[in-house]
Parts: sequence; structure tokens; C-alpha cells
Amino acid sequence: MSARDAILARIRSASRGPSANVEEVIRAHQCGPQPLAYGDLVQRFVERAQRLASTVEQVRSRHDVPRAVAHYLEHQNLNRAALCWPEFLDLDWFGARISVAAQRPEPEDEIGITGAFCAIAETGTLMLLSGHDTPAATSLLPETHIAVVARERIVATMEDAWALLRQAHGALPRAVNFISGPSRTADIEQTVTLGAHGPARVLIVLI
Amino acid sequence: MRVGLFLTCLVDLMRPSIGFATLKLLETAACEVIVPEAQTCCGQPSYNAGDYAAARELAIKLALEFADCDYVVVPSGSCASMIRVHYPSLFTDDSEPARRVRALAARTYELTDFLVNVLKLQTVPGHYQGRLSYHDSCSGLRELGVKQQPRALLAMLPDVELKEMNQCETCCGFGGTFAVKFGDISTQMADNKCRNIHASGANAVVAGDLGCLLNIEGRLRRIGDAATRVLHIAEVLAGEQGEVPCK
Amino acid sequence: MQVTALRFKRKAKQNLRNARLQSALSKIQVRFVQARADAIADLDDFEAVRQRATAIREGVLANLDAWLERFEQEATRRGAVVHWAETAADVNRIVIEIAQANQVKKAIKSKSMVSEECALNDALEAAGVQVVETDLGEYILQLAHEAPSHIVAPVLHKTKDEVSDLFAKKHDLPRKTGIAELCREARDILRPHFVSADMGISGGNFLIAETGSVLLVTNEGNGRMTTTLPRVHVAITGIEKVVPTLEDATTLVRILPRSATGQDITNYVSVLTGVKRADESDGPEQFHIILLDNGRSAMLGTELQSMLRCIRCGACMNHCPVYQSVGGHAYGWVYPGPMGSILTPLYAGLANTLPLPNASTLCGACAEVCPVSIPLPDLLRELRHRQSTQDLRPWRERLGLRVWMWLALRPLWFARATALASRVGHRLGGAKHRLRWLPGAGGWTHGRDLPAPAGKTFRALYRARKPR
Repeated sequence: MSARDAILARIRSASRGPSANVEEVIRAHQCGPQPLAYGDLVQRFVERAQRLASTVEQVRSRHDVPRAVAHYLEHQNLNRAALCWPEFLDLDWFGARISVAAQRPEPEDEIGITGAFCAIAETGTLMLLSGHDTPAATSLLPETHIAVVARERIVATMEDAWALLRQAHGALPRAVNFISGPSRTADIEQTVTLGAHGPARVLIVLI
Repeated sequence: MRVGLFLTCLVDLMRPSIGFATLKLLETAACEVIVPEAQTCCGQPSYNAGDYAAARELAIKLALEFADCDYVVVPSGSCASMIRVHYPSLFTDDSEPARRVRALAARTYELTDFLVNVLKLQTVPGHYQGRLSYHDSCSGLRELGVKQQPRALLAMLPDVELKEMNQCETCCGFGGTFAVKFGDISTQMADNKCRNIHASGANAVVAGDLGCLLNIEGRLRRIGDAATRVLHIAEVLAGEQGEVPCK
Repeated sequence: MQVTALRFKRKAKQNLRNARLQSALSKIQVRFVQARADAIADLDDFEAVRQRATAIREGVLANLDAWLERFEQEATRRGAVVHWAETAADVNRIVIEIAQANQVKKAIKSKSMVSEECALNDALEAAGVQVVETDLGEYILQLAHEAPSHIVAPVLHKTKDEVSDLFAKKHDLPRKTGIAELCREARDILRPHFVSADMGISGGNFLIAETGSVLLVTNEGNGRMTTTLPRVHVAITGIEKVVPTLEDATTLVRILPRSATGQDITNYVSVLTGVKRADESDGPEQFHIILLDNGRSAMLGTELQSMLRCIRCGACMNHCPVYQSVGGHAYGWVYPGPMGSILTPLYAGLANTLPLPNASTLCGACAEVCPVSIPLPDLLRELRHRQSTQDLRPWRERLGLRVWMWLALRPLWFARATALASRVGHRLGGAKHRLRWLPGAGGWTHGRDLPAPAGKTFRALYRARKPR
């Protein structure tokens, strides 16, 4: 008997409960208790994101993004060469004196500019989906991660994010990454230090 | 109402004054108190050592002894919880003894819980002047929900100043035979408790379980504190602090 | 990993005297206990979330076979390969086979307690595969050749200075003293490994049956690197970790980091489904998921089934006064604290772990904070019961209890014995009314006095008082 069959046989002989209709349970997508409604999703998102040590800049339109990014880079004293998801290549980066490229991220890259599928107000979290034009490494390898999100893409909870994803794509991409601020570790003396292996800085530009 | 007093073996052996204080509290509240002479131990040591059969025998014995009481009152959270919470789990059948034990469990109360929630006392006979800190014993707190009851009763004594200690809900390290089997760990836990008692500014510590009191007092005295008083809640409420009558 | 739980008492004693360890353990109160309390208060209704989380986990366990099959079917459809392992040795064999089939020379790992359970690193090294732990804590342990002492914060037992010394020696770099500098140094040292590794090994916090996904919660980003950069990804987890839907996983994610570290959410929550798509520039080409039994299925349908709900948050150990006193290494295996005192006997054998279920006052602090309502004290007692029925309890205890029981069932003898004990104890107590030493109770009197009995039992005094 294979390990699989042996394990499953043991489980079957031990289970006492009535058998559940697996497909029915899945289709129901029952949500657990969620937070009470937030008055203003944007305000909640910004507050929580800042609490997680993300920086949030709000701009009026897509075209204001390069200027906001330039301002941040200047302020942080960072280089002005960035990797960028293709969806933002059309912006006037040149005018903001930032050079952008949409290539495969390498460990040496310092700045990664991405979009986000949506953002979650409850926890100040970004939701990114991997894909051809949305490589996961852009939000991971560079020390500075800049995410551009439209205000209307802010949903209340992770449950809402899943519903939005099912509606938009049906199936899951290879990787769904929920990002809540710069990477951190508290392994040494339980003291929080930002910038573990992932980005040490996260800028969220809200349009 | 007929109230059976289950003393606990520890009170019987180590500190009878708690038994008399409990008696006084119940009698002052006009209860007819029965103290069955054949009572011994609730079986908790065996139960917590995994010997369920022995615990079952004692459960049946206890149920018989207190069969004619309307309530059974215990001046100990852990023994009360043994009867109220754990006895029923030892009997899954519907035999006569099992039914008796379940009935016993349903009418058994920890002392302060009984005074507050059944007798609904508004006054207590004792008097005490000083700064007290209350240690929440684990079983009473977590298995019976004894938290506000002793505090409500202490508040009836006008000259008591309650000084809550940090981590009043953290175990003192007694744990029955644990205190002997893992003496070093138990001592450290008692030590933490003593530190919190000292930091509270109280000059007496009060609890509802003699096991905890012996442990805390033992550590206090060993580290050279002969001053801090270690009292059972019944002793404080009855105004009989450590005095043994008829001696 | 070798089980050394039988030495619990000796190790505990050493640890109690280890000032450095005690200082490290003293941080638990603020960093974990207080942080959790704040995070729980931040939820509108923790109790409701906990009830739902419990129901989700219990619901899965009632039909674990069906949920595992559903998970396997969906994961396979999305291009992952699902392996089943009966034992820890089977996990190691499967991972080595995958490594050899893919000419893997170097593997990077993110933190996985299941892989610790299997001692996977040793097995891989023996098979000629270099293994690099990338979670900062696990990396420190790998350098120091030590075992984790906490399931969430594996180097809880180490101070910053110890890490400074270790890094200076192993990295051959100038000694750093700041925590941020130490983290930076580890980042710089580990970064090349992420890029050059052929295989990434991770655990799995939850398996989602709906989508065949593995969900990972991490803070450092190494988990994402491990599952994104190497061409082969192997996720190892226990068969009990499956949950039905993304919504169910979400409920558990809402409660897991809060219970563990007091975070609302971990920095990264990754839901990984299948392999790199044809048009994708990153992601592994192979995704292997190993489901380990190793004693888990044997808990189903028994009094201990509820332990399988465990989501490995570590709240039980953080709140355990015994763990807070002795630290994780005393428990002698991968899982310490209350959850470890239940799991270790079940995975490693009752006779190899005798002290563990007894090393608890059954105070209930663990059950009070458990996010999936596991009645841990009852399970510890159940293991004591198993020790008792298998005659594994020490003879002195058995004898003592038997004498006590004999007396307790015979009130007349009980009265005589307690009267005698009270009288003798009272005399021994002397003027100060306390005993500094008592034969057979050295465990007590070594660190505490024993308040002396009053000289007469309640029973005797009551009879004398009663006029009737």
C-alpha cells in the first residue's frame, strides 16, 4: 500500500463525523467574523499602512506619480534608477529625472515600482498578483518598494479582496502576495528591525 | 437551606481556621451547615496524576456523603472545580452513581461564588484593616469564573484597601504534586509571585486556595519576609485570621 | 532531531540558573504577552473569530480524508506534485530524491518546524546538498549548531551579544554590536545564496483545498525569496494543515499573527498555487508539496484530536509560566511549552518523554489564549492518564497515591493519620510554625518553608466544639 493510501485509510477508520459535502462547503465561501464597517476606507488604509512603517503619498492623477516618487527618492537620498512594471512605463519618468526599466529584477536593483491588484483597509495591506507583466520579484528584491494604487482599489478586508479576485480572474495566479510594510525581523532579542531580506522601505502612492 | 461544607483535606490537615471561618460565614448568613464527618479528599491528586479510576471512587463517596444537601460549598477553587467541572467528565454512563455525581456537581460552589451569586450577601461579619492584594488561583479563575466575587466581598470591608498586584492571574507555581516534583520551577514561579506581591505595596496577600497560600507563604518566609500576612479569603471575610478556636 | 525530553528536570535546573537565558526569557512578558493582548483588543470580537477558527479546524478534522484529497486534486491540476510521507525519514528520502533528480547542489530554507521534526538539514547534508537557513533566527541556529527554543522566535534564548560573537567568528568580519547592523550583515551574507540556490524549502502554514494552494506567513521576506527564486520549491507540512477555502484561511490569518507576535498581519502573506507560468519571468518550475503524517492520523478520533487544530502560533508557550521559567530547550525536542508537551509524546513516544505532560501546573493560561480553543490542560492530563494506564508513572508516586487513596476511602484511618501528621508537623514547626525541611518533600523545602499544621485537624476541633 502506498503511503498515501495508508494515511488516508487510517484517517477514514478514525473519523467519526458525518461526511461533509466538500464542494458545497467550498461553493459557500463562508466568511468568518469581519471587522465592523469602516467609515472611510482610504483613511483607515492610510492610517494602518503608516502604522506598519509604510510611507503614503496621495496624488491627484496617474500623471503626478513620477513627481511624487522623485520627491520621495530625493528625500530618502536614493538613486534614481528603478525597475518598473510595464503598466507604468508610459508615465513621464524622464521629466522627473528618474530612469525606469521593465526587465527581470536582479538582486542589485535598488528600487522596484509596482502596481497592486487592490489594497486592504483593515490592515493597510497591498495585494499583488504574479504574472508576465507583474513579476513578484520587483516587490521583493530591491531595498525600496514603491507601489502605485488607485484609491478606488481599496477594499475593506481580505475577504473582499478574494471576492474581487474571483470576479476579475477566476483562478489564482501562481503567487498572491499580501504585503504589509517593509520586511522586518524581531529574531534578535525580540527587537523589531526593518529591512530583513525583503525591502527596507515601502512607499505607497495613492492616486 | 442545607449547605454541606466540604473542607478539603488540605484545610482539615493544615489550617483548620479556614474551615471555621467558612463555617462562620455560612452560619451568619443563616445557612444550616452540615459537615459530614466521613469526608476526606476530592481525589484531585489521583485525577491529575492520570489515575481516573481512583478519582471516580472518591467522587462516588463524596456524592453519597453530601446527598442530602441543597448546596455543597468548598473554600477552594481547585477542589470545587474538581467536583463541579471534572467529576462529570469521569462519568459518561447513566448509572445511578453517575447521576448522583452529576447532581452533586451541579450544586457545588466555590465559597466566594456561593456567597455572592447564591446567597447574594450584602455584608460580611469580619473586619480587617490594611492593604490586601488578591491572588487569583488558577482553577477558580479559569474553570469557575471566580474573579469579581472575592473582590466584591472584600469591598464590603470598609477598612480594606485592595492593592492589585501585577500578573495577579499568573500561577503561583503550586500545582499540587508539581510543587514537589518540579520544586525548582515551582520555587521560581512562587518567587515571581512574591516579587509582584511586594511591588503591590500590600502587607497581606489573600487567595481562595490553601495550596497557593502554603506555596506563597513558604517562599515569602524562606526569603526572609516574616511580615507579609498570607490569608485565606474566608479568614478575612469572617474576621478570623489565623486564630484556631478551642485550642 | 534527537529527543532529550527525559532530561527535562536537569536541563530546567540549569536553565533556571542561567542568568543570560533568564534575561532573554524575561522579555516574553512585554514582547509577546502584552503585544498579543493589545492585538486581540484591536479586534472587534476576538471570541467570535476564535469560535469560527475553531469550527473551521474541527470541521476539517471531521473529514480530513476528503479535504486532503480535494487539496491534492486541485494542487495537481495546477501543476504541483503532492507527496505523502508516513514518517520523518520518508520526508527526508523524498526531498533527497527530488534534489538528486534536479542536480541540486544548494538548497535555501525558510523556517519550517516540520523540517526540524524531520532533521532534514542533516539528511540533506549527508546526501551532499548544501543547506542554508535563511530565516535570521534559524540562520543563527545553523551557525551555532543549536536547536530552536521557540516555534515562532527560534533564538529567543540568545542575547544580542551572543549573536555578535557568533557572527564575528563565523563571518570573519569586524564584530557588530547593534541589532540593526547584525541583521544587515546577515542580509548581505545570505543574499548571494538566494540567487545561487537550486532549491527552496519552506513549510506551509495552511493548505487551501479550494485552490490547491500553500499559504505562508512570514515577516522577513526570506519565505518569498525561497519560494520565488530557485527553480525547485519544496513545501513540507503536516496533513492536518488543510483548510477548505480562501475565506477560511483568511479567518485563521486574522488570528494567527495576533496570537503569535501581536501583529495584525505578518509582513507577507503568500498564497502559492502551481508552478511558474509559461510567460512568467519568476517562480519555480517545479512545486513539490510533501504531506507528513508522523503520528498525526493516530490522534484522530481520540481524546487528543483537538491538538490537530493547532496553528503553531506559540501563544501557549508565551503564556506558560513554566516555559517562561525554563525556556524551550528543556523540553528536549522541536516543540516546547504546552503544545510541545502534548505533541512530543505523541510523535516521539510516551516512554521517551515522561516528564513533559507532568511539567505543568495545569494552570490553564495556555488554553485561555489558544486561538483555536484547544483544551491543553485536559490533553496534558489525558497523557498522564495514558502514562498511568501503561504503568509508566514513577513507583514512588504510585505508592504515595495508593497509600493516600487507601486512607481517603477509609475515613477513620484518614482521621487518625491526619491527626498524627498534624501533631507531628506542628511540633516540628516549632515556635516559628514552619518546617525548613521535610523528608520526602525536598522538592518543596529546598526553596520554600512549609507552613506547619495547627496541631489538630479541623475534624478533631470541630468535634470538640460541637455541643451536640
